[in-house]
Amino acid sequence: MSVKNFVKSLSGNEVEGELVKTIFVSLATSFILIGILYFLRLRYIENFIPKYGFYLFFAVLSYSLILLSIKHIRAYKEFPCMSGMMIGMTIGMISGFLPGFFVGATNGMFWGSVFGMAVGITFGTWNGKCCGIMGAMEGMMAGFMGALMGGMTSIMMLNDNLKLAGVIIFMVSSVILLGLNYMIYTETREMERKHKDDEFFTIFWSFLLTAVTIFFMVFGPRSLLFQ
Amino acid sequence: MAKNVFYFFGILVLVAVAGFFILGAGAETSQKNSGTQNSGASGSGDFQKVTLSIKNYNYYPNTVTVKEGQPVRIYLDATVSGCLRSFTIKDFGIAKNLPTPNDYIEFTPDKKGTFRFACSMGMGYGTLIVE
Repeated sequence: MSVKNFVKSLSGNEVEGELVKTIFVSLATSFILIGILYFLRLRYIENFIPKYGFYLFFAVLSYSLILLSIKHIRAYKEFPCMSGMMIGMTIGMISGFLPGFFVGATNGMFWGSVFGMAVGITFGTWNGKCCGIMGAMEGMMAGFMGALMGGMTSIMMLNDNLKLAGVIIFMVSSVILLGLNYMIYTETREMERKHKDDEFFTIFWSFLLTAVTIFFMVFGPRSLLFQ
Repeated sequence: MAKNVFYFFGILVLVAVAGFFILGAGAETSQKNSGTQNSGASGSGDFQKVTLSIKNYNYYPNTVTVKEGQPVRIYLDATVSGCLRSFTIKDFGIAKNLPTPNDYIEFTPDKKGTFRFACSMGMGYGTLIVE
C-alpha cells in the first residue's frame, strides 16, 4: 500500500486510472472556455490579463485538482466516519480557501469570502456526507472557515508578494489534495467501486466553476479598495 | 498506460501554453495597482498634508485633525507595511491601496465631526477630526 503502488495505479484500469484524464478534461474545458470568452468579450476589457489572468489561471488549476478528488470520492460513495470527516474537512477547506483567495485578490475580502463559502460549503457538505451527518457538518464548517481565511489572506498580502503567495498556496493545496487521493486509495483497497461518473461530470463542473469565477472577477461586485 | 501518458503530456502542454499566454501577457504590463493616484490635485500647495507612520503596531499619529472644506492629502511613510497600506475612511467613501510612500489619498472633508480611519481589515485604526 505504498505511494509507489498508488502512482502505479494511476496507470491502471481501476478508479485511480481515470484521475489523470479528469485533470486533462477539466483543464481543457476551462482553458477552451477562457479562450472563447477572451476572443468574444474579455479582450475588450481594459487590462484583463494583467488584472485577472494570474488569479484566473491558478483558480482553473485549483478546480481541476478539486474535481479530481471529488470524482475519486464519488466513485466509492461510502466511507467510515474517520475517513469521511477528513474528506469533508479537506474538500471543504481547500475548495473554500482557494476560490476565496483568488477572488479575494481581485474583488476584495468580503466578496472573496462569499464566493469561497458558496464553493467550499457546497463541495464540503456534498463530499462529507459520504460518511453521514458528521462528515457533512465537518465539510460545511471547513468550507465556511476556509473561505474566510482565503479572502482574508489575499487582502493581508495585498502589499506583500501576493502573487508569490498564490503560487505557494496553490502548491501546498495541491499536495494536500493529492494526499487525500492517496488516503482514499489506501482506504478503499477492500471496497468495490459503487459509482461511475462519466466525463460530462468533469466538463459540467469545470465549465460552471470557470464561468462563474470569470463573471465574478470581471463583472461581479467588489469592495471599495478595488474600484 | 499509453493513454495516461497521453493525458499526462496533454496536461503539461495545456498548462504550459495557457500559462505562457496568460502569465506572459500579464508580466509585460506593470503589475502595480493603478488605483492609488490622486484625482484633481491642484499642485498649488493648497492642501493639508498628513503623513502617517507606524508606532506600537498602529498608525501614528493616531488622531489627526483637519479643517473642513480644505483638501487633505494623506501619505503613508515607508514604515507602514502589509495590509496597513490599504487605507480606508468609510465615512468619506475612501478605500485605496497605497503601495509606496509617494502615493497618497486626496479628498475634501465636507462635514465636521469625528470619523474613524482604518486599514482595510480594521487592524490599524485612528481618528480623523474635521473642525
